[in-house]
Amino acid sequence: MSRPALNVKKAWTSCQLKHDRQLFRAQFSPDGQFIAAGGQDKLVHVWDLKNDKKKSFGAHKTWVSALAFHPAGGQLFTADYHGVVHCWNYDVYDRPAWTIGNANDDNVRTLLVTPNGEHLITAGDDTIIKVFNSTNGEPVTTLNGHQESVFSLAISPDGKDLVSGDLYGSVRQWGIGDWKPVRELDAGLLHTRKENFIADVGGVRSLAFNGDGTLLAAGGMKEAKSNAFCPGKPTVLVFDWTTGQLKNELGIKGKSDGPFNAVQFLEDDMLAWHTEILHTSSELTFWKIDQSEPFHSLENSSGYDLSLHPDQRQLLVPTYVSGGSSGNGARGKTPAEYLPNKTVLKIFSLFAKPQEETTG
Amino acid sequence: MNPASQNLACGSPAHAISRRQMLGTLGGLAGFGSLLHPAIAKQIRNQHKQVCLIWLDGGISQYESWHPLPDSKFAGPFRSINTSIPGISFSELMPQTAKIAHKISVIRTMATKDPNHSTGVPRIQRGDPLDRGVDYPYLGSAIARLLGPVNPELPPYIWIKPGNGGFIQRDAGFLGAQYGVLALGDGRPPIHIHRPEMISAEVDMARDVLRQKANERFTTYRNTSDVDAYETSYKMARQLMARKEIFDDNLLDPKDRTRYGSHPLGRHMLQARQLLEAGVRFVKVNSYHWDTHGDNFNMSQRLVPQIDQPFAALVNDLDDRGMLDDTLVIVMSEFGRTPIINSRMGRDHWPDCWSIALAGGGTRPGAIVGETTSDGAFVDSEGYDIGHLFHTIFTLLGINPQETHYHNKSQRLAIARDDCQPIREVML
Repeated sequence: MSRPALNVKKAWTSCQLKHDRQLFRAQFSPDGQFIAAGGQDKLVHVWDLKNDKKKSFGAHKTWVSALAFHPAGGQLFTADYHGVVHCWNYDVYDRPAWTIGNANDDNVRTLLVTPNGEHLITAGDDTIIKVFNSTNGEPVTTLNGHQESVFSLAISPDGKDLVSGDLYGSVRQWGIGDWKPVRELDAGLLHTRKENFIADVGGVRSLAFNGDGTLLAAGGMKEAKSNAFCPGKPTVLVFDWTTGQLKNELGIKGKSDGPFNAVQFLEDDMLAWHTEILHTSSELTFWKIDQSEPFHSLENSSGYDLSLHPDQRQLLVPTYVSGGSSGNGARGKTPAEYLPNKTVLKIFSLFAKPQEETTG
Repeated sequence: MNPASQNLACGSPAHAISRRQMLGTLGGLAGFGSLLHPAIAKQIRNQHKQVCLIWLDGGISQYESWHPLPDSKFAGPFRSINTSIPGISFSELMPQTAKIAHKISVIRTMATKDPNHSTGVPRIQRGDPLDRGVDYPYLGSAIARLLGPVNPELPPYIWIKPGNGGFIQRDAGFLGAQYGVLALGDGRPPIHIHRPEMISAEVDMARDVLRQKANERFTTYRNTSDVDAYETSYKMARQLMARKEIFDDNLLDPKDRTRYGSHPLGRHMLQARQLLEAGVRFVKVNSYHWDTHGDNFNMSQRLVPQIDQPFAALVNDLDDRGMLDDTLVIVMSEFGRTPIINSRMGRDHWPDCWSIALAGGGTRPGAIVGETTSDGAFVDSEGYDIGHLFHTIFTLLGINPQETHYHNKSQRLAIARDDCQPIREVML
């Protein structure tokens, strides 16, 4: 069956998977059959899209902070805020195949697997990028250089370059294989520390390469107004990967006050991202990077991650759903009535609905 | 005269124990017990009671500090760690305080009413008095009024805060401007604390005598709160000029700076220790930007250690100096933060069940007070409003809130809500 034409202006919500707790990370498996997600309830949740069944697995003792499938399929890697990484085999989800007890001190913020499947790479608040053998979790090397928490990692499409982004807005390039530092790009615009702040705000929350590896997008927010609400202007910086020069700075037109936690390149250097906002609707936004404004956006509640289906036509967004108790104070609610917030994993199909094609 | 009464027309300083009062009292103690004014005796007994209020403006999250509950559905992602009290855990963001948990007490069931900053801050710092048509004093002004200065050469109430300083009358409420607070902006000493070299000490003295005479003449027939404020601030200025060494950062031990932390709250709490040692009755230290509606966990990770480190250092230092028994240290905000996590990964305002910490001053070391629901969201025992805390604080300072009243002209006003009681579990 031929793949439908990409048409984000006709994008629609093709699937909604509900969960009764907040999930902050979600990814499609390489074959597109599974969705894995994790977050506040410490469990790893795996939906089989063929039969709509969900299984949940426990091993983490705190929030799940990051997850990634092995590119060859068969394995899922999950990490948490205590610095623990578990490797799960698809068919034996009841227990981890192996575990790294302290991948990073304090926590793991992000992890990925190299395209050749050989290496698992983690990073977190200890500022150190750790490289492990993805087969058994044995340490391979460590990459030092960041001065603050590392929030994001990405690998160039050719598999040769690793990039990492930190709280201060430092984006560092490392060679995959020799693991040597190559250069540093300046995304400092995504970091704010005003004189009256008592903490640094922002950072490079997301990184993504375009399809041919000529562009690197770094997502976050600029011009934070305080370190309390942490409101800022969601911003993506697009770098020319060859020169390392900033090519474009992109924002959104609608209301939003949080960072871009995830960015994703689509075909033709089209860029998709999602942001978050307090107590109202946010949006999934689409850009052509040579234009100054987004060409389309879809209203959605706050979203925390983006995963592109292997068919390149579906985007997965873990989306915030209010449990009905949001806001200040209990306002008369009893303990039984005071419920946590929830999630719906939304799949946005980036093409016209089939019936629209038929009728239109 | 009740020590808390005031009469702005009387023309005499009302807040200091005068030498004559002191001598009279000592005479009474020596053999004329029946002549001893009970209120003065109380002041003598409490002469050395001091207070340090550390105010985390906006509201620290109880889950990321005093009450982590890692297995509850509302827990944050951080570890809980053992404290020096068996069976009691704090957030991993409070490692230093965890080591001294046996020296402090925590009330985990504060249940206040107001979920808003604008009304919550004054409500909490005034003890939520019943509406009597007057602005009640903030706690520091109340203590300054009720107990006077420890060291008559220093203001009884100093506020170390980020931003600007100056003499701030607002805190005094109906007590009158003279019970306002001297604010040290970013911990800096008041400006012009050094006498210009071109003015000799003799000339300065002569100027002050002239000023006092003019002031006395003016106030013979006109005495207002504003005049009191002027006189008080001028007197404060002269007092501080004489004690400018307590503001000299260069005299601080570098090891102390390291122990307290180089961040503003660390520096300001070290300065608070200096002021307490110098004999300031009530020191308030403010830290702003704790209102973590957005990115609560990244922010808590960076903010909570900023109170953990200097709080533990301060308690240890007061203990080492033999001051802790007489110095009440309070760490609090206007409310806690919501159990549920909002769309910006933040926690909102939560007055319904939150935590404060106390140390010294007659509090019960190691007391962890109050039962919450298993998820920490609601009180599951007795909840304590700010009125209970004010009763507790006053009682610890030797002031009986049932028997002591303010007198605002003809109005008799309770110093704390009469429908509240002290929190006995937290008191020795």
